[in-house]
Amino acid sequence: MRQYEMIAGLETHVELSTKTKIFCGCTTAFGSEPNTHCCPVCTGMPGTLPKLNARVVEYAVRAGLATGCRINRISKMDRKNYVYPDLPKAYQISQYDKPLCEWGRIELSNGRTIRITRIHIEEDAGKLVHVRGNTLVDYNRGGVPLIEIVTEPDFRSADEIREYLETLQLTMKTIGVSDCKMQEGSLRCDVNISVRPVGSETFGTRTEIKNMNSFTYMEKAVAYETERQIDLIESGGTVVQETRRYDEASGMTESMRGKEDADDYRYFREPDLVTIAVTDEQIEQWQADMPELPRHRLDRYTNQLQLPAADAALLVKYPRIAAYFDEAAQGVNARTVANFILGALFRRLPTDAEKENAAFPVPAAYLHDLAALIDGGKLNMNLAKTTFEKMLDTGKPVSDLLTQADLAGLDAEALAAVCRAAVENNPAAVADIRAGKEKAMGALIGYVMKATRGKADAGAATALLKQLIG
Amino acid sequence: MITQEEIRKIAKLAKLYVSEEEIGSLTEDMARIIAFADTINAAADTQEPFDSIQSLQNALREDVVRPSYPQEEILRNVNGGEDGYFRTKQSREG
Ligand SMILES: [Zn+2]
Repeated sequence: MRQYEMIAGLETHVELSTKTKIFCGCTTAFGSEPNTHCCPVCTGMPGTLPKLNARVVEYAVRAGLATGCRINRISKMDRKNYVYPDLPKAYQISQYDKPLCEWGRIELSNGRTIRITRIHIEEDAGKLVHVRGNTLVDYNRGGVPLIEIVTEPDFRSADEIREYLETLQLTMKTIGVSDCKMQEGSLRCDVNISVRPVGSETFGTRTEIKNMNSFTYMEKAVAYETERQIDLIESGGTVVQETRRYDEASGMTESMRGKEDADDYRYFREPDLVTIAVTDEQIEQWQADMPELPRHRLDRYTNQLQLPAADAALLVKYPRIAAYFDEAAQGVNARTVANFILGALFRRLPTDAEKENAAFPVPAAYLHDLAALIDGGKLNMNLAKTTFEKMLDTGKPVSDLLTQADLAGLDAEALAAVCRAAVENNPAAVADIRAGKEKAMGALIGYVMKATRGKADAGAATALLKQLIG
Repeated sequence: MITQEEIRKIAKLAKLYVSEEEIGSLTEDMARIIAFADTINAAADTQEPFDSIQSLQNALREDVVRPSYPQEEILRNVNGGEDGYFRTKQSREG
């Protein structure tokens, strides 16, 4: 069999976290009874007129700036016509040939670049519920603002798609334009996918898989569809250009409709909305107050703070954790702080959701103070670790948990005295060590730690004990 | 020139069901409508393109929530709907 490669492009819909819908003052709040976040505008009543939400333009431009897009100073909105009950007007107000943003990029960790063709603004559709031979419609989501981010066919694997989506999600969250919750549908994507023999320069016929709102389904759907197309070509068939749906239950994709009709959206300019103009001053300002983007933060952690790449990536993955780290690591050893966060703190925040919405048991300043004591040689790592656990348990600062005596350290003479006592009081362990059982050293160290309430430096004590035993 | 085939396609896209007898006269009507639009297009050539209409830019709204309509008010034209929803005939794609 010939070797094939998959080629994919992505259309990602991201719901913007504005307070109101794109063309009316109805709330965008999630949940609630059906058709309670609606008015004549967002239910398409005759005679109503849309009025564009200024914040939608701002958020879309911010998204464009964060992905390196060129911002079109002049833009407009168009009607995309199709008849389906999720659209009360029988058209969706979108952008056709003058989107707000064009030509951006997202870099992947394998060195490849995914080119972003465009980012445009549009309104979300309503939700359909199919019951008892009828279709019920809820327009609460109808008119919620979306940006659609379209890429070139630059993906070569499902892993690349996943990384791109994770980066996009993190970037949008960081700049505060969307919460990108896949489970609530505020980030969902369509994948255009084709296959071709390795080495071929031409593209195969592509199919589109619609509306995937989880990474797992996306990966399964892409894997299934790639296999399906290869099998089809290998068995002498041809891929038909069409829209397919991934069925979670069967794990297969199935045809939804012929592309021929679906593509015929008869776009024309939306006559009820005027031209959108974005000024250089606005762009400068939005660029200026852009927070540090995930990729820049990652560079800073690995290059400037010398964190291992995997540790840096884990911190950057959760913006609140990263902010906590930044505060705690000010002026102290960053690796020490990272280790406390990725170790003890992460054990108390086992799920993604807990890390994302982390309610920190202690303020970052407390962790900073602990790290400063370690840096200053006042606290050995063992005692620091147990102290941090106590801080997480009680929410108290170091100063409440350790006495001045604890922090005074142990001078050489005191340590030597304790070690001598350890040897005298543990003849059995000493005999074992002399017999070559290195593990017995643990009993002596345990004695030393208990006697010094953990203040002794384990390394120094071990050296001294070895010397005493001979 | 518009063809009868195009009329059939447009009707299908708009979910309009027209009989074979109507196709001929609809095609003639559509040809007249397009001719009228061509007249406007010819006149519009002297106008500036859309992106320099300075006086018609940025009619924007602040992002401030206004009360939505009560559910029963929204559903009044469809006899109250069903369980708070609009109801239509089954319309599943595919
Ligand atoms: Zn509304």
